[in-house]
Amino acid sequence: MSHEDSARKNHDDIVQYSATRPFWGRLTNWQPYRLLLTFATASPRRQFIILAAFPLLWLLTQHLGPMIQMARVSLLESYPVAQGAPQNFTLDNYIRFFGDHIFWMPFFRTLTFAAVFTFCTLILTYPVAYFLARHVSRHNQMLMLLILLIPFWVGEIVRTYAIMILLGNTGAVNLALKWLGLIERPIPFMYTSFSMGLGIVYLTALYMLLPLYSALEKLPKSYTEVAADLGAGAWTRFRRITLPLTIEGISSGCTLVFLISTGFYATPVLLGGPSTTVFAETIAGFFHYAGDEWPTGAAFAVIMFAAALFITGLFQKLMKALRRGDTK
Amino acid sequence: MTKFTFNRRRFMSTAAMTGAALASPVYLRSASAAGGEVNIWTYNDFVPKSFKKQFEAETGIKVNIRLVDDQGKQFNLLAAEAPNPTVDIMTVAGHRFLQFIDNELLAPLDTDRLSNWGNINPTFSESDWATINGHKWGAPILSGMEILAYNTELVSQEEAMTWNTLFSEKYSGQTAYIIQDMMSIVMLMLGYDGNMVAYMDNPDKAAAIVEEAKQFLISKKSLVRKYYDSGAEVQQMFVNQDIALGHSWNGPAAALINDGFPLGMTIPNEGSYGFVYTYNVANNAPNADNAYTFLNAILASPEIGASMTKASGFISTYKDASNYLTDLEKQSTSFPEEQIANLQFFRAEANKMKYGLVDPAVEAVKAA
Repeated sequence: MSHEDSARKNHDDIVQYSATRPFWGRLTNWQPYRLLLTFATASPRRQFIILAAFPLLWLLTQHLGPMIQMARVSLLESYPVAQGAPQNFTLDNYIRFFGDHIFWMPFFRTLTFAAVFTFCTLILTYPVAYFLARHVSRHNQMLMLLILLIPFWVGEIVRTYAIMILLGNTGAVNLALKWLGLIERPIPFMYTSFSMGLGIVYLTALYMLLPLYSALEKLPKSYTEVAADLGAGAWTRFRRITLPLTIEGISSGCTLVFLISTGFYATPVLLGGPSTTVFAETIAGFFHYAGDEWPTGAAFAVIMFAAALFITGLFQKLMKALRRGDTK
Repeated sequence: MTKFTFNRRRFMSTAAMTGAALASPVYLRSASAAGGEVNIWTYNDFVPKSFKKQFEAETGIKVNIRLVDDQGKQFNLLAAEAPNPTVDIMTVAGHRFLQFIDNELLAPLDTDRLSNWGNINPTFSESDWATINGHKWGAPILSGMEILAYNTELVSQEEAMTWNTLFSEKYSGQTAYIIQDMMSIVMLMLGYDGNMVAYMDNPDKAAAIVEEAKQFLISKKSLVRKYYDSGAEVQQMFVNQDIALGHSWNGPAAALINDGFPLGMTIPNEGSYGFVYTYNVANNAPNADNAYTFLNAILASPEIGASMTKASGFISTYKDASNYLTDLEKQSTSFPEEQIANLQFFRAEANKMKYGLVDPAVEAVKAA
């Protein structure tokens, strides 16, 4: 086909396109739009910059921006800074944490709770993910996932209240136990580490389930079938094949759940008791006080953030070592 | 146990309030159709729904309400927005005035612009705390107090006449309180001035007293079911029978009584503290004229004061508001003379020293 024929064909295509899709056709023929398109796609480098601009802007303004602002506030002597007053920087807000052991208890309690609840979530959701990925037909998997997702259509607070309705002295669990004649007086489930743990496990289960499901779903069934043919029992097959090959899913799920658990506020406030105060409550306390306590709250938030990242980093290293060991 | 007829009560209450509003004189006649908006930060139920609807219809001013549940949070929000706040009217407790005034967050109230100012009981509008630096700073609307609330089917009134019952083994795991408020009450229980005004010249003694109160609460920590923050939480704990007695503000407790819940409340013999909520105009309020129109309208009649009491459970500061309450509502918002004698108002003079000591102590109790 000659160049003229090709140009004619392109022209005909555009005319035909304009006829079938009037708006888009007009837009494609609109001179400023064509100029913009030519400018934007002039080189691969320019294309990359333009494509990356929005996500980068989003990350900077919506994710990094608030964190940088929080870090800045944590170094201020007082905040909000009074009109006309100088902004003095200090490390006192950080020193306050290390110098006053009062704050250590909720800090370490939070990290311990987060680790324990993450482990519990893993233990509880692994069989569910396994069943879903390995024993449910592909057609029904979507339906099952949808059913599992339903509670997550409502917010954290509503789901927390649902737990309260279940566990209260006049809640469904106590009423059922009473009806069965197993108890005479209600069991005080609420405002304990149990109620708080149950709430957090319930709220974070999906964040564990999805990475596990994804890892298990990718695992070819032939691997375990071959192992079975070679005489490996169910436990051996799980320990030597399934578990090592789903380490990545476990690692992702645990990281997500651990990080989310360290930051929970509303659930511990609503479901926790006097002995379950977590660090998020301590931090929130500084933001409630009518005074210059925001910088201390911000410093404590930065400390929690850094500690959670550090532990997650260690955990990831451990998982990486396990994976490496497994492939040797 | 008496059935908790929440829906029926709420329906009747709303119907009664709507009826009262429709029957009331057109108190907004003087307010021209100004239009615009007024932004208010206040507690739940402090602006009656029927009043809001009528005010908006008759003035064209849209009322935007942002709910708050804590004086400190409100202070911080306002301080962050200063000197150009988005709010016009806030709800500050009288004993917290100084903090807001010192930080130039409130504008002095021009009572000459409020033709209905005289409808407030002078006990509140002319109290010593209401005038600071020669100015009035807020319009008192509701009065509250720290009380001991108890389930009448589980706890006797005699037991509820002392704060010690809250810390007794008998009710272990069946009590709840707000730690910060209890710090002041425990100081009173221990024979000290919970306002700490008496120790303003002796910070060491003040610190020792706060330490004693802190240690007391830590030693009793194993007996408490829940440290709570908001009135709604304590209401829920009573309704779910998670607790048999607890420290509370009288408002949430009265609301439960009015809903038919078997609850009683006392001002125990050791004493307690009272406070007054006021509507205040923010410094540099963006809609100051609308704010005054709103304030004048809400102060217009005792029926409005009564409807605020019905909804919130706190005691109205309006003259003759009690004439519009039912017998049960009157009962739930009043106390015997001998109990009233145990009450004193929170004072602000030593707040800086007091909360500088109390706030870390609260954290220590929580963390212990």
